[in-house]
Amino acid sequence: MTTTPHNAPEHCPGTNSEDAGKADACAGCPNQQVCASGEPAAPDPDLLVVKERLAAVKNKVLVLSGKGGVGKSTVSAMLGRALALDDSKEVGILDIDICGPSQPRVMGAAEEKVHSSGAGWSPVYVSDNLAVMSIGFLLNSADDAVIWRGPKKNGMIKQFLRDVDWGALDYLVVDTPPGTSDEHLSIVQYLSAAPPVAAVVVTTPQEVALLDVRKEITFCKKVNIPIIGIVENMTTFVCPKCKTETAIFPATTGGGTKLALDTGVPLLGRLPLDPRVAQACDEGTNLLTQEPDAAITQAYKDIAKKIMAFYEGQSQDTT
Amino acid sequence: MTAVARDLEDIVEECPADSREAGRAGVCQECPGKELCLSQGSQADPEQHVINTRLGAIRHKVLVLSGKGGVGKSTMAVLLAQMLAAEGQRVGLLDVDVCGPSIPHLLGVEDQPVLDSQWGWQPAVSPLGKIKTLSVGSLLSSQSQAVVWKGPRKTALIRRMIKDTMWGRLDTLVVDTPPGTSDEHLTIVRLLATTRPSGAVVLTSPQRLAAGVVSREIRFCQKMNIPVLGIIENMSGFCCPCCSEVSEVFPGGAGAHLAEKYQVPLLGTLPLHLGLAEAGVSSAWRDSPVAEAVMDVVAKIKEKL
Repeated sequence: MTTTPHNAPEHCPGTNSEDAGKADACAGCPNQQVCASGEPAAPDPDLLVVKERLAAVKNKVLVLSGKGGVGKSTVSAMLGRALALDDSKEVGILDIDICGPSQPRVMGAAEEKVHSSGAGWSPVYVSDNLAVMSIGFLLNSADDAVIWRGPKKNGMIKQFLRDVDWGALDYLVVDTPPGTSDEHLSIVQYLSAAPPVAAVVVTTPQEVALLDVRKEITFCKKVNIPIIGIVENMTTFVCPKCKTETAIFPATTGGGTKLALDTGVPLLGRLPLDPRVAQACDEGTNLLTQEPDAAITQAYKDIAKKIMAFYEGQSQDTT
Repeated sequence: MTAVARDLEDIVEECPADSREAGRAGVCQECPGKELCLSQGSQADPEQHVINTRLGAIRHKVLVLSGKGGVGKSTMAVLLAQMLAAEGQRVGLLDVDVCGPSIPHLLGVEDQPVLDSQWGWQPAVSPLGKIKTLSVGSLLSSQSQAVVWKGPRKTALIRRMIKDTMWGRLDTLVVDTPPGTSDEHLTIVRLLATTRPSGAVVLTSPQRLAAGVVSREIRFCQKMNIPVLGIIENMSGFCCPCCSEVSEVFPGGAGAHLAEKYQVPLLGTLPLHLGLAEAGVSSAWRDSPVAEAVMDVVAKIKEKL
């Protein structure tokens, strides 16, 4: 894991490097004296605060991809809704896509704002047992551009984890932006302090997506985040007129199925392209309750069951 | 509404982002990122003259942006580069998506290493149109290697991809970007600042959800003084190969909505087509009805350069 402090300048050699505090880039850095003195860096005090805050949050699910536009936000929202179908479970959705926050719209809460109290920031409740937090709720207008470099985004993510009062949750689903960068390193660093945390990796069938998703799987292995499985989205489109199934994003190199085999990660499910899903996301409605008998509803419920089974297995291993 | 949320709204709206004001403006005083901005990157680049020399030899620079992932930025960048090259232009395609570089695959240069020379890095040359291209993908030892870099390292690499690369004389440099409005976008815009990009082509899918994110990208362009050449709505309808029924896979009409809202041209709407998913390496789309739509969009972009 990288050791560049959040307030380091460009070209920081890293706090563990031999040049720490002595390189040209160190001039002017607030940490220069500490680094040059050779004393070990103090652990981030916020890590402990986050750990305490998340103590009552049982299972954390990171929804990752690497590739953009494969349906991370859609899958995060649908999985959150699927897990919350059980009234006895408390579920939260945390949207850490700072530049492109989708959850407020997808969850039908685009006009909501965040309130704070002595206990911290209250997430937005979209139903009795399903709460959401996103930078989208904190922005004035729907098209404010959040033009922040990595360290500032990390600061926001830390603030979400430190200040949001989730209460006791059974599941926290974390929607991430595409890539393997600041936000991902940040969330992994903080959530690893409060296990269990595991990842669901979303892909679409074509090679251009798999290229990025393989990297995301490598990233998870590198940072020791167990992967619950792969979800292959947008597999086929069924023509509403003649019912012919077409693979719009052809799996020329074996798609999610082959990826699962190659990486040893389970395939959790394959989801077809159903325009009703895109529409529900645009309108912020719950497709699972609107179309309880649709194949896509069952597919999401199956994936949710596998995720629940994964965490039950984990807690049995540790007891 | 709480004090916390209200402060943040103002901070985001008035944030001077990456300009010389970063960390110094009135609104910065309450911003948790103030120290960061003050310690970083608002000074002039010491090697700006080298960057200017490289960029001075390139006539047009076109950014392909979206904000939203998966709407076809890389595909469009490749199509644009190929069609301009087919007309005899000297074309380069720079891929600044450091985490998810798609261009080497789409341009068929996955096996070409990037060579160093006394004049700088030599970009790969795509066999699919004699296009010079550079991507972090070409610098990795394996395609599954993950580039897990924080902002400053990504910034440093992108800077080298301009400053230390032998692009030579080009008519057009197309720049493919990752989703978002962050390090990569700020960096490339700063690098191009003194030699002015010709403008940005903004991609969206029809969904209103995409429009929400793409709006932010358009606002980014406005804030950074990048002319928006126009909007392309991609994945707009699917024509069933069996019965030719056209279905709206992603309903919404976002392209027209954004064009109207921000008073920028709608360059065209492109349908979902099997061949386009692997555009570049596959030329299957060229013999289909979608080819005309693609050529029309490229012609409109050319007019604006």
